[in-house]
Amino acid sequence: MSTIYADACVIGAGAGGAVLAAELAEGGAKVVVLEQGPEHRADDFTARPPQMLARLYRDGGQTVTLGNPPVALPLGRGIGGTTLVNSGTCFRTPAHVLERWRRERGIELDDVLLDRCFARVERSLSVSEVEPELAGRNAAVVRRGAERLGWSHGYLKRNAKGCVASGVCAFGCPTSAKQHTGITYIPRARAAGAQILSGTDARRVLVARRRVRGVVTRAPDGSRLDVKAPRVVVAAGTIHTPLLLRSSGVGSGSGQLGRNLSLHPATAAIARMDEEIDMARGVPQSFYVDEFATEGIMFETIAGPPAYVAMSLPLNGRRHAEVMSSYPQLAQLGLMVSDRSGGSVHRVGRRPVIRYDLAAEDLEKFRSGLTRLERLLRAAGAREVYLPLPGGVTPERARAQDLRLMAFHPLGTARADARPDRGVVDGGLAVHGVAGLYVADGSVVPGALGVNPQLTIMALATRLAFDLLEAPCPS
Amino acid sequence: MSASLDEFVAAGPWPLRVVIRALLPLARRPRGRALLRLVTGADQALGGVAAMGYYDQPDVARRLGWDADAVIARGRALRREEGRP
Repeated sequence: MSTIYADACVIGAGAGGAVLAAELAEGGAKVVVLEQGPEHRADDFTARPPQMLARLYRDGGQTVTLGNPPVALPLGRGIGGTTLVNSGTCFRTPAHVLERWRRERGIELDDVLLDRCFARVERSLSVSEVEPELAGRNAAVVRRGAERLGWSHGYLKRNAKGCVASGVCAFGCPTSAKQHTGITYIPRARAAGAQILSGTDARRVLVARRRVRGVVTRAPDGSRLDVKAPRVVVAAGTIHTPLLLRSSGVGSGSGQLGRNLSLHPATAAIARMDEEIDMARGVPQSFYVDEFATEGIMFETIAGPPAYVAMSLPLNGRRHAEVMSSYPQLAQLGLMVSDRSGGSVHRVGRRPVIRYDLAAEDLEKFRSGLTRLERLLRAAGAREVYLPLPGGVTPERARAQDLRLMAFHPLGTARADARPDRGVVDGGLAVHGVAGLYVADGSVVPGALGVNPQLTIMALATRLAFDLLEAPCPS
Repeated sequence: MSASLDEFVAAGPWPLRVVIRALLPLARRPRGRALLRLVTGADQALGGVAAMGYYDQPDVARRLGWDADAVIARGRALRREEGRP
């Protein structure tokens, strides 16, 4: 067994952990980062979906929830976490969500400070709006439909620099244009002296007399490696953070650990157009329609190479082959629901088991969302629209088990609440009842945001970093 | 099964891996698909995996205008020229 001593140990190198590591290290702290997955290099990317799913995603991108319906939940694994494989979409936390946190969870956030944190993250990630010419013809189709219907829409902001629209954001950016934390914050952390240990599995957080002491890990060679630190930040992600806290015997006091799982369940429709779309030549997620955002329904463009489209095209046999032969004329639009369902995360053996059933309220959102999705694509001039439903099932009559869902943005399993009997961490992200232990990932976010959460997680992590440094976040 | 699809299946959680390996051949035949339709979701899920494997083949994808090797080569050249990571 060997031991490393640090001022702070950060578990996870994704959206939350990488930000913490860089800010703390640059602030003068001796930081150790523990990342279970490997470090991926752009030279190893192949732009082939099956290979990249296998290499960049946890469980090869085949994590599935148990419930009605089963929902695929792709999660990144390795340095960069899910920021390595997401679409790069950047939204600040909506004001009405911040207000809900204040009202329902007693979380008081200083607006000026939060604004500084967002601005700092956006600068670090080179966030900017997608240029229409880079967005490609898939986005142009959706824009045309939205304009004809008079629906609110716009180009998305993304963390990409020098993007040439390779069309494979979800399968490893081959140009390193996407500014994921593996090429932004982690190099900064390293340059400031942080030790980044990839392939190192955090097994247990050490706590004695209600104070954190460090982390027990398994090194890549299988040996035990202890990190002794007076501050530990758990940022292992919404699915794995509650499991680590539970196996460490902390965070369970409120009874909320592992509960309140919120997702953005999503699906997509494919349209056959008369014009050439060539959807893989453009930024896959570049355009949104937020006309129904207040109802918890958001449309965002998605796109990908033929293998990706073939997987999601809801047809069989000859019909599937016939439509795929017109791949250059296919357009695709995703539907994301801000959920009220609520799931939970448990451990069986060494594996997480995720329970999630779609609530009736959310099923209703899918029914109306799919109807509107088809309307938009028809308004854009679609010759045919393929909804993700079994043959003969209309959106109005769809049952939960008829939906083919993926989900993104898991949140809430170690939710923040000012009251120790209602939440796992307080508004400052400190675990209730354990000095020196913090959580900084999607698990602290109490409930669905309705928008992609990476910026929210990073801004909260930035705020925590400067709290720990007892320094103001620079304006 | 192509090496690429095999890598994908092998990366999955073991219960799923066993099911996919056992049932994927069915998803490639019309009668097999009819059998899979008896199990909710199995038909679409396994059909999706089989379709992904088929359209991932470089010659099939190229016929539809997608050349993964060219995308990677362009990325590599750009990273080299501009000193990107």
